[in-house]
Amino acid sequence: MSLVTGSRRRDPQGTRDATRSRSSRAPGAAREERAGWLLTLPFLLLFAVFTAWPVIQSVFFSVTDITNRDLRTPFQVNFVAVEQYAKAFGDPVFRQAALNTAYFVLIGVPLTMTVALAAAVALNTGITRFRAVYRLGFYTPVITSIVAVAVVWRFLLHPDSGLVNTVLSWVGIDGPNWLGSTTWAMPSLIAMATWRNFGTAMIIFLAGLQSVPQQLHEAAAIDGANAWQRFRNVTVPILRPTILFVSVTTAIGYLQFFEEPFVMTQGGPLNSTISASMYTYQQFSYGNYGYAAALSYLIFLVIAIVTAVQFRFLSDKED
Amino acid sequence: MRRSTLLVALTTTTALALTGCGRDDGGSAGEAAPQTGEAVSTEGLSGELDVWAMGAEGEALPDLVAGFEEAYPEVTVNVTPVPWDSAHDKFVNSISAGTTPDVAMIGTTWMGEFAGMDALDPTPGSIDTTKFFEGAQGTTEVEGTSYGVPWYVETRMVYYRSDIAAAAGFEEVPTDQAGFKEMAAALQEQDGVDWGISLQPGQTGSWQTVVPFAWSGGAEIATEDAYTLDTPETVAAVDYFGSFFTDEIADANPPEGQTEATFTDGSVPMFISGPWMMSIVEDFAAEAGEDSFGEMYDVAPVPAADGGESSSFIGGSNLGVFADTENRDAAWALVDWLTQPETQVEWYDMTSALPSVQSAWEDPALTEDAKLAKFGEELTTAQAPPSFPTWEQVAAAFDAEMEKVAKQGLSGEEALQAAQQQADSIGTGQ
Repeated sequence: MSLVTGSRRRDPQGTRDATRSRSSRAPGAAREERAGWLLTLPFLLLFAVFTAWPVIQSVFFSVTDITNRDLRTPFQVNFVAVEQYAKAFGDPVFRQAALNTAYFVLIGVPLTMTVALAAAVALNTGITRFRAVYRLGFYTPVITSIVAVAVVWRFLLHPDSGLVNTVLSWVGIDGPNWLGSTTWAMPSLIAMATWRNFGTAMIIFLAGLQSVPQQLHEAAAIDGANAWQRFRNVTVPILRPTILFVSVTTAIGYLQFFEEPFVMTQGGPLNSTISASMYTYQQFSYGNYGYAAALSYLIFLVIAIVTAVQFRFLSDKED
Repeated sequence: MRRSTLLVALTTTTALALTGCGRDDGGSAGEAAPQTGEAVSTEGLSGELDVWAMGAEGEALPDLVAGFEEAYPEVTVNVTPVPWDSAHDKFVNSISAGTTPDVAMIGTTWMGEFAGMDALDPTPGSIDTTKFFEGAQGTTEVEGTSYGVPWYVETRMVYYRSDIAAAAGFEEVPTDQAGFKEMAAALQEQDGVDWGISLQPGQTGSWQTVVPFAWSGGAEIATEDAYTLDTPETVAAVDYFGSFFTDEIADANPPEGQTEATFTDGSVPMFISGPWMMSIVEDFAAEAGEDSFGEMYDVAPVPAADGGESSSFIGGSNLGVFADTENRDAAWALVDWLTQPETQVEWYDMTSALPSVQSAWEDPALTEDAKLAKFGEELTTAQAPPSFPTWEQVAAAFDAEMEKVAKQGLSGEEALQAAQQQADSIGTGQ
């Protein structure tokens, strides 16, 4: 506002604003509004072309039978209403993929959060001298390329020469073919995903822990609370918004479970590690755009529901 | 609220528009297409050609096409190497965006898909298609029209350790399937042998091992307009494949990437693969200090069922000209030049890619190597999978069922009924 009025004052003839000042509106408001739109225009254009339009288009795709053979003539496709969605429910591979994803989320999210919180508490209280080193060490897997991680983990999990089975053999256990077994492939991927991802949650927990006032801990200690009681009754309630944030972001990330099976097992053995996103990706690469779009919306819907549930049960009700 | 109303409105409008102009079910584009493309003229060629090629071919091709540029000084050839991983997506994107190159190397199993998208120019009659291996030529044909030429080929054969086979009393590999399995079982009895043969237990590409057993028993896995995966011949072949696992002659859970190692140390003395494995196993053995490994193994045709003829899988790559090219004559002239016998032999020297032109195999460079000559022999009967646009998807479903056969002992009949059911619901895509 001040900028526009200022410029008016510097305009001695008042030529350009002469008409506008006669209008009933506050002087310069319309102009400011127009400038605002003009400034956001580049973003709006990019958003419209690269985000909004594809979203709208994928909704259309999901109610048609479009495949890659229709790309040149996209208006020749048939409208099939909810057929693609119905197909997903009858598709045994997608059902398997959905179960695998649920397995991954139900075990992976609590595990990742527990490990992350434990690491954050340890870093916040104990080993102060090497805090930076440990923080870096725990966070490094997050920024390491999944392909590099996959190569290392494949070495570790190799049934004959891998470190894991070598160590197990020292104590007389004959280790399984981790990635080649329908029982062990999923736990192997969960272990890897937890190791790779807990760093992000840890950093956020660490920030949350550092905002817990030291006086509260001291007061509780004077009242006779032990370390666990102080953690349970002082730290956790204050961390509540942090826990909500971490659980929502981790759950969303894990519901989109893709990279680990894609690089480690290609969904095998016997589809025991295929995930919903990976199956969607496969359908997309076969050119079944309509079906892949429908599957994407199903995943989106599940993420929305899970997030809503988390907000319902984890958010601070006193606020 | 307002936003969702808008969305519903938009969806309904489009839905109505889409129902109004459904896909034309009868008379596909293929029927109207000519059997051969229009002739091309090689007079006064000029201009630029964009060529895409994948992998090692993409890197070596610029050196080879220097010869073409000498023959046609007015034509400039620009080669773009494309990584295999992203090649399929890159092609599909460029087809939909109308930014295709003039000439490209095309994976044999993509032909149906690209031709289905009307992206490829039919092969002109001026190119003699009888000079190629029949199986390879088959990979270029979609609904009776050829959309390119075979560039190089490969086929799969049985690799076996001749020294271990001799110790087990086998001078030659039996050509019938029953005898072949007996041999694998006999090899397994030898000292230091863990498994008789290495067979891929399902997962991507395992059909390339299983389907040749079926072809070698006279099976057809597709007709002109449908998949026929559950024929008795194919059922017998899948049961045969599965019996190697149930009889524990082959490992159903092999560690990844160990084929060369277990073949050279003799713990798994047989496997089925393509010609590239020759240099891989020999180099691997040489690194371990075994320089005469070439004499310790040999290759043999895929065993046939009773009364059948050995018929392996033919792979390789084709060359195609895209329909959007602005320099059609020069594009086809380049393709023609690349499939001259002399050029093919030169290309073999540069990249070890095997010639798709049969007469090129008469060159000493290829006849001198006894094992390679056997591959040349096997190529004359090798077959290609159906060229339907949906083949890759059906192959994935087939592979998933083969995994159940190998790891869970599913019967051939059950596996193929499930595969056929999926193939029916996927359709041929034509």
